[in-house]
Amino acid sequence: MKMTKNGLAAFATAVGLLYSTASPALATTEINVIGFGAGFAWADLFGPSGTEKTQKLLDFESANDVSVNMEFADEDVARQKVLLDLINGTGNYDLVMLGSDGAVQTFSAAGYLEPLDGYLDSAKDIFDASKVYKPFLEANTVNGQLWGLPYYSFGSGVVYRKDIFDKYGITEFPKTTAELEVVLQTIKDGLAADGITDVYPLTMRGAPGEEPSLDLSGFVYAYAGYPAWFEGGPVTPEEIKATKAQPIFNGDFKPGFETFVRWSQDFGPPGIATHTWVDMMNLYAQGKAVVLMPSAINAFAGIPGSEIAAVKEHSKFAPSPTGPSGKAIQSFWTFSVGVSAYSKNKPEAYKTLAFLTSEPVLRGFADAFGWPYTTYPEIMHSPTLTDRWSAEMLGQIEASFSEADPHYFPYIPELVEFMDQIGTGASSAIAGTVTVDEALNELQDWSTDRMTRAGYYK
Amino acid sequence: MARKLGRTLSDDLGRWTLITLALIFVLLPIVWLAIASVKTRNAALAIPPEFIFTPDFSAYARIMSGGFLGAFQNSLIIALSNVVLTLVLGVPAAFALTRMHGKVQENLSFWLLSIRMAPLFAVILPLYVLFKSIGLLDTPIAVSLAHLTLTLPLAIWMLVTYFRSIPVDLDHAARLDGANALQILWLVIIPIARPMLASVAIIVFIFSWNEFLLAFILTSRNAQTVPVAVASLAGTMSFDWPLIAAVSVASMLPALIFVGFAQRHIVSGLGSGAVK
Amino acid sequence: MVKDWRFWFVIPTVLALGTVVAFPTGFLLWMSTAHWVVTEPGVYFNGAQNFQTLFASSAFLSATGVTLAYLTLSTAIMVVLAFAFALALAGPHSSGLLRALMITPLVIPPVVVGFTWRFLLNGEIGFIGAYLLPAIGIEANLLAEPLGALFSIVIADVWSRTPFMFLIFLAALQSIPRDYYEAIRLDGAKRFHEFFLITLPMMKGAISVAILFRVIDALNTFELIYVMTKGGPGRSTQTYSLLGWKTAFQGFDFGAAAALGVVMIVVTTIVALAVFRRFMRGV
Repeated sequence: MKMTKNGLAAFATAVGLLYSTASPALATTEINVIGFGAGFAWADLFGPSGTEKTQKLLDFESANDVSVNMEFADEDVARQKVLLDLINGTGNYDLVMLGSDGAVQTFSAAGYLEPLDGYLDSAKDIFDASKVYKPFLEANTVNGQLWGLPYYSFGSGVVYRKDIFDKYGITEFPKTTAELEVVLQTIKDGLAADGITDVYPLTMRGAPGEEPSLDLSGFVYAYAGYPAWFEGGPVTPEEIKATKAQPIFNGDFKPGFETFVRWSQDFGPPGIATHTWVDMMNLYAQGKAVVLMPSAINAFAGIPGSEIAAVKEHSKFAPSPTGPSGKAIQSFWTFSVGVSAYSKNKPEAYKTLAFLTSEPVLRGFADAFGWPYTTYPEIMHSPTLTDRWSAEMLGQIEASFSEADPHYFPYIPELVEFMDQIGTGASSAIAGTVTVDEALNELQDWSTDRMTRAGYYK
Repeated sequence: MARKLGRTLSDDLGRWTLITLALIFVLLPIVWLAIASVKTRNAALAIPPEFIFTPDFSAYARIMSGGFLGAFQNSLIIALSNVVLTLVLGVPAAFALTRMHGKVQENLSFWLLSIRMAPLFAVILPLYVLFKSIGLLDTPIAVSLAHLTLTLPLAIWMLVTYFRSIPVDLDHAARLDGANALQILWLVIIPIARPMLASVAIIVFIFSWNEFLLAFILTSRNAQTVPVAVASLAGTMSFDWPLIAAVSVASMLPALIFVGFAQRHIVSGLGSGAVK
Repeated sequence: MVKDWRFWFVIPTVLALGTVVAFPTGFLLWMSTAHWVVTEPGVYFNGAQNFQTLFASSAFLSATGVTLAYLTLSTAIMVVLAFAFALALAGPHSSGLLRALMITPLVIPPVVVGFTWRFLLNGEIGFIGAYLLPAIGIEANLLAEPLGALFSIVIADVWSRTPFMFLIFLAALQSIPRDYYEAIRLDGAKRFHEFFLITLPMMKGAISVAILFRVIDALNTFELIYVMTKGGPGRSTQTYSLLGWKTAFQGFDFGAAAALGVVMIVVTTIVALAVFRRFMRGV
């Protein structure tokens, strides 16, 4: 026998040792958080690996007698865990990460979140709601109640390569979508004439699922002039029920949808139907795209790490162009955090939440990444950002979210599913597996059925 | 050992071509990963790729500084326990199954197979509820037990296919010498079956090491495993390809070590088959 | 029965598995007949409604086609490759190093496999997709086209799981007694005969087990496909497991997801029974 008695004993001891060292230590009030983006989100608290505790965090913990346990996971898959926790009312997580494009609306409707209005005063010294840009809070407000506080957030805009624009004789960035379409075509022809085959006029995101929906909804808004999802453009469940507004996906929703698809096909890279925001960002950062829109932040995410000099030196920001309706193409999102309705330590959880979205922490984010987007006007006007970006650019960017209306799509409980269906339909249309009309008809059928099942038209 | 009669040069050539192609296919992505782990972020994704570059090991440094060590520890515990449990439970069961006949044997075999048929997404919720109710959420044991439902049936099936080739005469002979069932198993069957046991151990270890969904759902902070840790980095925020590559390469090491250790037991070409 | 040693050898396994499996199975069956949508209050029994909706949905139809295509293609390729590799490396002279190398794809978590292949095949920045393939004249963005995407996940899956089948076949090959070969060689048989008269028949059990487990595995493949294509473009790589996950965790409809789960179990059981009866009576 290969294994001697001693060998077995040693093996058993080793396993036993491993087991014992794996058991966790106990602490004061434990606040459990689940989120995504290790090394990115709250890197100033949890380190580049997302598993450390920096002094900043330790100070907060000792001052408030809490222990913050952070768990990072992939965004989509983290949703599973959050859902399981919330469905079973397990209360395993005190703070959960949300997005203002679905999770906030859906989870609040399902009763999984704790309304925060009552807590705002309790930790005002840590988080003061009056000190952040209003739209970011509005994006997290459903039915008049606040459900989450914003971490990093953004508004709409375009980032483009001024050097390439100059090369093809375009002196300033177009103000309307009609003009932009002409410009994109000019660039496309110019690139072709110059024999450049690996640079594309436009980069957007068309991966199936909810990925394109945020931006696509912005197109819809600009072309229709209102959130053209339901008849008359209602944005809350009550409004929809009041008029029994049916979906209008093959109505006013179409122009914006159709443009998004067509531009992706005509001006985007061949793989655009699979691109997530990361691919979109990478493409721009590698100098292979001329225009990135309408979620400009993704370009800013890629520029610092880019190794192409032209990208770093010649990237410019422009406000989102306006559509035929006179309204600009929207894109607005906050990465928010909410308190679980099943948390066993709500006051402490809120305090931690306030800390996670507090000014010093957001400043840490700005210091680390330098993106010209933040939730605090104070930081927007501080040297961290003003040293890096021109005043004009910062002003334009600030306007893109300080004056935005986050409700360019409906805030209904079924939002997550809608975003998913819309995005998947768009992705199929871009890939050419279905026509725009087929995609929209399917969307129309699905949504009518979904809304009926949810009891809106009783 | 003597060469097989009738082996020609073309046979060998054919064989070696196949092996070479196979190796290229198998190793290309891994080599690419390894190279990516020592490049800078942009260089890792650049086209055309730089074949000559100075290695940058900062990604590995980032692993050391992070909590990945904990994940490695957890994965190791879970995978090893799984191997032990699977063998301890599975070997006797497989042996017994091959010495059974009739309806009972058939039904039992099929039941074992059927356990794997439930799609994971459907049983995640009940499993979560189950483990929560017995208070084992976020412990390595929970994951080991959950993995057992996937590895044990497989192990038993593999062992059964193999044990069948061990003739019952051996049992009889041993019994005549006064051995009971346990002794037959321990002293006769297992020594002969070592190569198969090694294969099973490898498969079970690797499977358990790599398993994601169950490990992800049943753990949060304390018992996180390596695939879960990788996924937490490599999600929609996949900025840091070198880091992901580095963690992947590092995560291969324990598994490779285990394989290297165990595969020595897959004795090449049991000259006389199972019987002699 | 209690006196029988075989009972005692088997009972620990039955107990261990039974306890972990019993509750989820019952729960699943219950869930499939319940109306349980997270965003709607109230969970109640609604009989076969979930199943009716499921069968009528276009997503289910599409997923059936995708799953079948993915399953047959990947399994067929895998069996051939694994068998070929096992034959090549089963000989007594084969080095353990070679065998160990062949197994390496297995030690990489499917999540990473998905990312790796996704990057490799990417038409703009992938080593294979943007460099090797164009070099031999193929200018396609595999992941962006429906057929290409299917093909891509098959490749990644084959790459990842062939070693597993390889191991099974290898072990089975090595358990074939040498005498059998020697015997018929003395009768003047060529290698060709060796293969069809001895190797193949002796391997029947192993092949059946391998295929059966492979099929079940394929049905459960999730993170590899999800990470590579998220089920797209559109729905062209949305298999049952992706559809099920989506229904549960994005559609928040647990009743519907459970119904799909039950359908999958039924189908697999029928297929398994057929294979079982046909090939494994004596196994």
